[in-house]
Amino acid sequence: MSALLALQSSPLPDWAAVAPALILALTGLLLLAIDSINPTSSNSPVLAGISTAGSLFAFAVAGWFLIEGTGQAATGGEISLYGDALVVDGMSLFFTLIFTIVAAMVSIASMDYLSKQRYQGEFYALVLFAATGMVLMSMSNSLATAFVSLELASLPSYALVGFLKDNKGSIEAALKYFLIGALSSAVFAFGISLVYAATGSLLFPDVARALSGGTGMTGVLGMGMLMILGGFAFKTASVPFHFWAPEAYEGAPAPVSAFLSSASKAAGFAVAFRVFIEAFPITQLPAGVDWVLAFQILAVVTMTLGNFAAATQENVKRMLAYSSIGHAGYALIGLAALSANGPNANVLGASMAHLLVYGFMNTGAFLFIALVEHWGVGRTFEDYNGLGAKAPMASVAMSVFMFSLAGLPPFGGFFSKYVLFYSAIEAGFWWLAAVGAINSALSLFYYSRVVKALWIEDDTSSLELGSKPVGLYTAILFAAVGTLLLLPAFRPVIETAQTVAAALF
Amino acid sequence: MAGIFDFVPAIVLLPFVSFLVALAVGNRLPKGGAFAGIVATAGSFLLSVATFFTVSGGQTYNQTIYTWANGLDGAVTLTFGLLIDPLSAMMLVIVTLIATLVHVFSLGYMNDEGETGLPRYYAGLGLFTASMLGFVVADNLLMAFMFFELVGLCSYLLIGFWFREPGPPSAAKKAFLVTRFGDYFFLVGVVAVFATFGTAAFAGSESFPHLAEQALHGEHSVNTFGFEPRTWFTIVGLLVLGGVVGKSAQFPLHTWLPDAMEGPTPVSALIHAATMVAAGVYLVARMYGFYALSPTSLSIIALIGGFTALFAATMGVVKREIKQVLAYSTISQYGYMMLGLGGGGYIAATFHLMTHAFFKALLFLGAGSVIIAMHHNENMWEMGGLKDKMPVTYYTFLSGSLALAGIVPFAGFWSKDEVLYETLVHGLGGSPILLVAYAMGLLAVFFTGFYTFRMVLLTFHGEPRSQTARDPHGVHWNVKGPLVVLGILAATAGLVNMTPVAELTGLEIEFLHQWLGHGIEGLTSHHYVELLESQAGYHAAEIGPIVPGLVSLALALAGAGLAYFLYNDAEPTEHTDKLGGAKTVLYNNYYQDEYQVWLANSLVQPFSRGADKFDQGVVDGVVNGVSSVSLLSGNRVRRIQSGVVSNYAVLLTLGLTALILGFGLLGGWF
Repeated sequence: MSALLALQSSPLPDWAAVAPALILALTGLLLLAIDSINPTSSNSPVLAGISTAGSLFAFAVAGWFLIEGTGQAATGGEISLYGDALVVDGMSLFFTLIFTIVAAMVSIASMDYLSKQRYQGEFYALVLFAATGMVLMSMSNSLATAFVSLELASLPSYALVGFLKDNKGSIEAALKYFLIGALSSAVFAFGISLVYAATGSLLFPDVARALSGGTGMTGVLGMGMLMILGGFAFKTASVPFHFWAPEAYEGAPAPVSAFLSSASKAAGFAVAFRVFIEAFPITQLPAGVDWVLAFQILAVVTMTLGNFAAATQENVKRMLAYSSIGHAGYALIGLAALSANGPNANVLGASMAHLLVYGFMNTGAFLFIALVEHWGVGRTFEDYNGLGAKAPMASVAMSVFMFSLAGLPPFGGFFSKYVLFYSAIEAGFWWLAAVGAINSALSLFYYSRVVKALWIEDDTSSLELGSKPVGLYTAILFAAVGTLLLLPAFRPVIETAQTVAAALF
Repeated sequence: MAGIFDFVPAIVLLPFVSFLVALAVGNRLPKGGAFAGIVATAGSFLLSVATFFTVSGGQTYNQTIYTWANGLDGAVTLTFGLLIDPLSAMMLVIVTLIATLVHVFSLGYMNDEGETGLPRYYAGLGLFTASMLGFVVADNLLMAFMFFELVGLCSYLLIGFWFREPGPPSAAKKAFLVTRFGDYFFLVGVVAVFATFGTAAFAGSESFPHLAEQALHGEHSVNTFGFEPRTWFTIVGLLVLGGVVGKSAQFPLHTWLPDAMEGPTPVSALIHAATMVAAGVYLVARMYGFYALSPTSLSIIALIGGFTALFAATMGVVKREIKQVLAYSTISQYGYMMLGLGGGGYIAATFHLMTHAFFKALLFLGAGSVIIAMHHNENMWEMGGLKDKMPVTYYTFLSGSLALAGIVPFAGFWSKDEVLYETLVHGLGGSPILLVAYAMGLLAVFFTGFYTFRMVLLTFHGEPRSQTARDPHGVHWNVKGPLVVLGILAATAGLVNMTPVAELTGLEIEFLHQWLGHGIEGLTSHHYVELLESQAGYHAAEIGPIVPGLVSLALALAGAGLAYFLYNDAEPTEHTDKLGGAKTVLYNNYYQDEYQVWLANSLVQPFSRGADKFDQGVVDGVVNGVSSVSLLSGNRVRRIQSGVVSNYAVLLTLGLTALILGFGLLGGWF
């Protein structure tokens, strides 16, 4: 409170710019404290409430900063902290909005999902620490902070995936996630060391400066760059580092899947955007090191593989896991459609806006799965038959998510995808947009299968749904309303995203 | 300035609102939404009358009200607009009056008979009326086409109202498909009009009839796709005529109409008198300035009309059901209108359109009344003697029959006579082809008189031939009221344009001539006469109207007399056997249905089958191929996702290595 009061009289100190991360971390610590005083507490409303309140507070602060222009051109540009290790600018605040709102939705939803589990305090603390790590990822300005914050986001995620300790699937998923994560982190760290060898610095601006001076070690630099790319590919679940995703998402508690596939993926993109645009600017790359081409390949392969695999799934959660890989492919267009003199800010901004919309619709979709799991309905498409009649409100929301994910009007996903593809065409990469459009058409097939099961197919089971959990419903409806409102409200979103993206170049 | 023309959209919208009301809350309204429909159509009627009087005061209205596709750089602009001139004002009054009466009559025919699904019925009536009114006020061909299609849709919905029985759905489909076949040509015609003139407006200096006229004078150049302008205009006109032939049930697309009798009788009245069938003829009248430029089109219209008039009249002679007789009489009477239009009698055809609307609505409603009385038995051979049991129905029906047969002084006499007279004078004035059409039309008068009175005599005269006819079901005011109104109109509507009397006495009593003679420049009957003379080469021979009028009257009386002679017994016998082989042919409607079915089976079906093969084999093959490829590769991906984490680690490492190797070789790192 004192910090807020101080605001009104004088400008905030620079360190206050990381307030969203601090709020998340402190809330996490508070939850840990509660947990250590009363480790068996199962008062989920309080725990979930604290977690949600902390996330929403961080969201509000980030939103306030974004509107006030903190770290943006209007108030003197980006704010560098701790020896330039962190930087707060429009992009990091924009991504913070995504992480915090997803964390809030996941926290509310977990209240019901975890009501019968032990150690709930740990769960919310882990969510908030992971969120802290993500916020730091979006703020990191050096390869070292990027690595550390990525680990800060990843380690709680491993634990969260394995949170259902009695559930074999959950444990197995966590172990696989951890092993692949460890391998990827190793690749990432090796990549950092190679880049350091070639440029002599870990700070993004210094790396860029070293590149502009020319380097004799093109091979080392290129290899390092591709390995760093691999680290981010792991975080964003892009091919060929995607193998963990279907398993982890399927085995994890559904709210955690929502969190990983929306917020964690966005965090991977946040840091990838900053690293590749700030540290390896296209105009200063030595010949023979073309990361744009690498992203183009990854984008095409990722979206195609994700969508094709999703089309053949029988399990809805797994289908969503592959669809989330497909969406990573769309978001990669943000880095793949860049060129030396192209409308780069528009492309990148479109990708960021898509990630924001995706944060709502994908979280909502996974939370619907959480709801279905809470009721004990099975996991395949057939098991969803006739749910529309039993739980109409949630099913309407799920249909909204599905159509929005497919990119149909009148939902937020329509505009975000449209602007993304349009900006790719504008940048001259019409073929990327074409591949995206073909994949979107294919995705309609499997998304509509869910809607068909919900509404058209006849119910065969006589399963009685239990109570209507308040927390899950709140989160799902919130996500649905967000998905809907992002259609009319898309203009300010895309304008903000493209403005903050312009500051990077 | 809020003139009456500002309320013209309401004429169209009121029935549309009643459609919405009946659809949404009809179940909760008394009488299934009938009152909403009556109020709406009556409101439209009052507004139409007000519009009518405003137009008679010399005002007209031609305004675009909504542009829904704005053409840039010379592309066409698509609009909705209103065109209120004497023709459309008159048509508005006719349509709204008959729609109101049909709504009232439906109270007796549908509600009192305990039919179910009434909200659907009244919703259909409302939409039907609204569509027709939208068509009437349309100021351009595209808007007309759109409402024309809506009219077709509504007829489908209403003919198939009793969709649980086998007959109505199939009749509805037939009506829809046959008229759609004609509309296909109409649509091509609309596109051709746009492509040629860049506009489809009916009136004004930038209208397509006017531009066409200028093009023939060489004052304006249009894209005629390599044809002579007049040839091309003939082609375009005939394309549009395709829609007219379908909707107005002209040969050879008339086959849907007799089947459409499967619908509720008030719907038949609406279809035949004021809406669907009238739409076709009205369209020709609406763009008469375009047809008048092409003598070939006019001759074809006249020949189709004359032939249809005769052809349908002969088929009406042998029918056993009262509504079937009326159905063929409708086809025949619209044939007369086409004959009038093609024969250069614009006013005559419009006149016949008006009188026919009244007396045909009357006859159908009268038949409806008889059908109620007969407990929905339509066979005339089981009726008889209803004259004394239902006097109101009898006398009004008689009035309508006299009008239909063309007996002086009932409405049909004056209008039919003028149609034939106009055709005759233009035929003798140098267009001999019209004489052929005239001869057919004249001959049809005899048959009309015959079948009309055969119907009247079988239904109302003689002794009752069945138990129900002995003890018919009574009808209420809601049936009798509309009958009386229309009965009076059927008797008197012809008086507005008594050409022979005007000729004889020299009085200025041809009110319809005066009415259609004023209005928007280029849409007046005077202008059309000029066009016919200068462009189509139609010249009127100097013959008085008296002798031709007497001839046709004599023929009508002869037909009626023959019917009287044959059927005015207490127990009439079937004389159809005397026709021998002709009877079978007539019963089977000249095998029209059969030959169309044969065409469909032996020509269209193989073609469709071929198209289907192409669609299934080639188009679907490609699509299925794509989807099976994607599913197959999806399966491959699934197989790679084996669940064994060490495999993942290997694949991940191999993938990264491949990437590094590729880029390394490409970038020359090694």
